[in-house]
Amino acid sequence: MAKPIQPNPSADGLEQTEANVYAVVYHALVFGMYASSALFLVGMLLALFRHERVPLTSAWVRSQMQWHVFWPGLLHADPTAIMLLATVLLILTPISRVVFSIYAFAVDRDWPYVWVTGVVLGVIALTVVLARFGLQ
Amino acid sequence: MIYSWTFVMVLFTAACFAGFLGALLGVGGGIIIVPAMILISHLPVKVAVAASLVSVIATSNAGGSSYVDQRISNLRLAMFLEMATTIGALSGSVLALYLQAWTMLLIFAALLAYMGYTSFTTRRLDDRRIAGGDFTRAKPDRLAAFLQLRGHYHDEAEDKQVQYVISGTGPGLAISYLAGVTSGLLGVGGGVLKVSAMNQSMNVPMKVAVGTSKLMIGVTAAVGAILFFFAGLIHFHVVAPVALGTTLGATLGTMVMNRLRSWLLKWLFAVLMIYLAYNMVAKALALRFHIVLPALGS
Repeated sequence: MAKPIQPNPSADGLEQTEANVYAVVYHALVFGMYASSALFLVGMLLALFRHERVPLTSAWVRSQMQWHVFWPGLLHADPTAIMLLATVLLILTPISRVVFSIYAFAVDRDWPYVWVTGVVLGVIALTVVLARFGLQ
Repeated sequence: MIYSWTFVMVLFTAACFAGFLGALLGVGGGIIIVPAMILISHLPVKVAVAASLVSVIATSNAGGSSYVDQRISNLRLAMFLEMATTIGALSGSVLALYLQAWTMLLIFAALLAYMGYTSFTTRRLDDRRIAGGDFTRAKPDRLAAFLQLRGHYHDEAEDKQVQYVISGTGPGLAISYLAGVTSGLLGVGGGVLKVSAMNQSMNVPMKVAVGTSKLMIGVTAAVGAILFFFAGLIHFHVVAPVALGTTLGATLGTMVMNRLRSWLLKWLFAVLMIYLAYNMVAKALALRFHIVLPALGS
């Protein structure tokens, strides 16, 4: 892209900031997308070739979410453990992009947006904590 | 449930379609994928809703990354409005404890119908304003000026660099808050309200609204998904084909969106909103008066 002939200082600063934040967000999203898709694909194909009968109950799903089931499962390429890992990676991707953008805004000394993004992260944390321990 | 190729392919295909349409319109596509899972694959409603929520994250990652790469999404605007949507989602889940679902459904149905109607009547406006360069002429309010809310993108259909300044941060925050409330309270309709808020109240071109909303819906859905995850409602075998399908569909959708004229996007968008409003009315009538209207998956 051609550089502006008369860059004014603030406009120039804006472009710089945006380039960093755009790059950070892009890489976080793309990593999350490829990593989780690859794991989902592997897990799904393994499950298909095993012709598994899967119970559709939340009790069964929760039984797979124990550490002592998950780690051995992952080591032995158990499809459920692989797809569990993919799901966790997928869910954490948008949240990691919020965390990384705080970092990018801070590097660029764009303080108003460090605050804006910090508020977003704080509300997310509050929602999860309330839902786990308070509401229900 | 036996995990068969047919089961997987049906979910994958429906998810692909939902992902494609969702990428064109900046929405999650739950309105398409949930009925498909319930009616065609005969999955329990809660499993379908949980899988749909995870698929919204997948479509947001795929669509959002592409729109960020094409510089269509406005990241500052996304962060700014996310304050309102996350607070809205939190208060929505609190409100759900006290409010009658059917009243809320009717209120949001009215809001959606109104916005769907205005999206239809203003469908030609975006193309005219791009041609006339009107998006740069709005006067930013003090908050928008302080937060440097403005931007530009390259519109492929018009083959033109479109500059815009953002105004109306007050109404924009208010509608985004309501969008958060709907997703927290009802689990649907977050994306449509975000796109409308930006396009109709904040002087944001339709395509930028779509790209920015696509990015934003991932965060709201992720928070909801964490709660479903701990409750053991996310069924990994169901989520896998749905996530893969929406990712592929959304990626294809982002390649097409910028080549379409804005009026076509707004027209499609109006149809989706009116349908969503109808679906909510049907659900409200069934809940309160046991009147069953034909509606998909409600």
